[in-house]
Amino acid sequence: MIDYFALALGHGLLALAMLRLVMREALDVDPRLKELADKAEAEREAASVASRNARRRKQSGRARRTGQDQHAGQSEAGE
Amino acid sequence: MIDLILIAFIGYVLMLGIRRPYLWVLLYIYIDILAPQRIGYGVITSLSVSLIAFAAAFGGWLALDNKKGARFTMRQGLILALMLYCWWTTGNADFPENAATKWDWVWKAMLFAIFLPLTLTTRLRIEGALLTMLLSMAVIIVGAGIKVVFGGGGYENKILIVNDNSGIYETSVLACMAIAVIPSILWFTRHGQIFPPDWRVKLFAYGFVFACVLIPVGTEARTGLVCFAVLLLLMFRHMKHKALFAGLGAIAMVAAIPFLPSSFTERMSTITTFQQDQSASTRVAVWAWTIDYASKNPWGGGFDAYRGNSFEYRMRVEERVGTTTSVSYEEVTDEARAYHSAIFEVLGEQGYPGLVLWSLIQITGLWSMARVRRRWKDREGPDEQWQAPLASALAQAQIIYLVGALFTGIAYTPPMLLLLAFQIGLSSYLKQCEEPEGAAPVRSLARPSAPVTPQPSGAV
Repeated sequence: MIDYFALALGHGLLALAMLRLVMREALDVDPRLKELADKAEAEREAASVASRNARRRKQSGRARRTGQDQHAGQSEAGE
Repeated sequence: MIDLILIAFIGYVLMLGIRRPYLWVLLYIYIDILAPQRIGYGVITSLSVSLIAFAAAFGGWLALDNKKGARFTMRQGLILALMLYCWWTTGNADFPENAATKWDWVWKAMLFAIFLPLTLTTRLRIEGALLTMLLSMAVIIVGAGIKVVFGGGGYENKILIVNDNSGIYETSVLACMAIAVIPSILWFTRHGQIFPPDWRVKLFAYGFVFACVLIPVGTEARTGLVCFAVLLLLMFRHMKHKALFAGLGAIAMVAAIPFLPSSFTERMSTITTFQQDQSASTRVAVWAWTIDYASKNPWGGGFDAYRGNSFEYRMRVEERVGTTTSVSYEEVTDEARAYHSAIFEVLGEQGYPGLVLWSLIQITGLWSMARVRRRWKDREGPDEQWQAPLASALAQAQIIYLVGALFTGIAYTPPMLLLLAFQIGLSSYLKQCEEPEGAAPVRSLARPSAPVTPQPSGAV
């Protein structure tokens, strides 16, 4: 009788725990790790956008300087 | 009837696992601890439930889990090295048949301890695995506790649901592990997420703890009493009101003595009269034999090498006639006596290399949990309160086990290997939680298609 009681209690609680676990998304995707991953991803994206902009600025600046040099060279040749 | 209920429960978890395959891992833990195939009488005894659960757990993880955050750590490597070494000694064992029988369950327990941390990648998974182990133990312990309250029990008496003296049903193993898990049960009364702590959780947990304390009384395993003393010492260390705890503890112990069965107090009193105790005398003789054996066989004699021992020793016998006590020494011959200590068990069976590996596994466990505790104990965030207490609980479980293991041959007991796996999983998971944002993934077992997440640079 006591064994049956212990079996019923233990298995009842185990069954309930398993049911609660199966309904929780956090079982497979940890909220804390997801938050960290999202943050890292956002930072990486922000960093890549900023570096792309910086590269573009650099490239356009160089192109402008080359244009000015060519223009100056032509003027000197004309004189 | 009982078979049908057990099979229905296994079927229920298998069904739930279709949605979340991790539940199959929990099913294996349940089967590993409780061994339902030994509780039933009919159909279930002929089913390889353990194999089915392991195949489901491993197959589910391999095929369906995203494996994000799963990493193979140094401690898993140590367990793997010990397992391979045990496999080698089994091939060269002194008693090949007996060695093969023990190897048959040891390798499974070790393999699962290596595999389990790979699946423990979220907080809820760690908690779920620990809860499954505790509730599976509760089936055995609560039943035994009630029987003790109603006057059952006694050394080698039948108070357990299964009485075949194997696995956790071996009284010394159960007495040691029942005490070892008490800190983990108490952790659930403060930090549990599956069953948020309320009065019902606390009522069950305190009842369960009480039943755990009754196990050494019911089984009359002396190891249990020693383990309980260690638990009190460990709890005392973390108590805020030490004097109050010591005072109340002393009063409770004195008050409990009249309620303890006389057979228990008689058996426990043999701890101090070890000179007249054959079991204690044999232990010392076996340990001396093992040291001698290991010096001749430093690579170990394989599982159950103790079967080759035979020795004579002198045991002190006291006889009281009236008020006079005469002391005489009796020659006792003993053969094939078990090691009665995990340390000597490993030394005799796996030699010095095995003992070094086994000790490293234990020491790194304590070190790793101390490290987790140190890093998390002063944090104040709302979701940063559970880590340090859980690390403490797992470390305390290991300390209690190690003290118990000094006097019983439980070096490879599956519940302890599970606790080691929980430690590895916890340490691994928390390393990821601490990872500096944007760090490059290292040694990840995640699928290439999985999104990139921060990974730790190593784990213990």
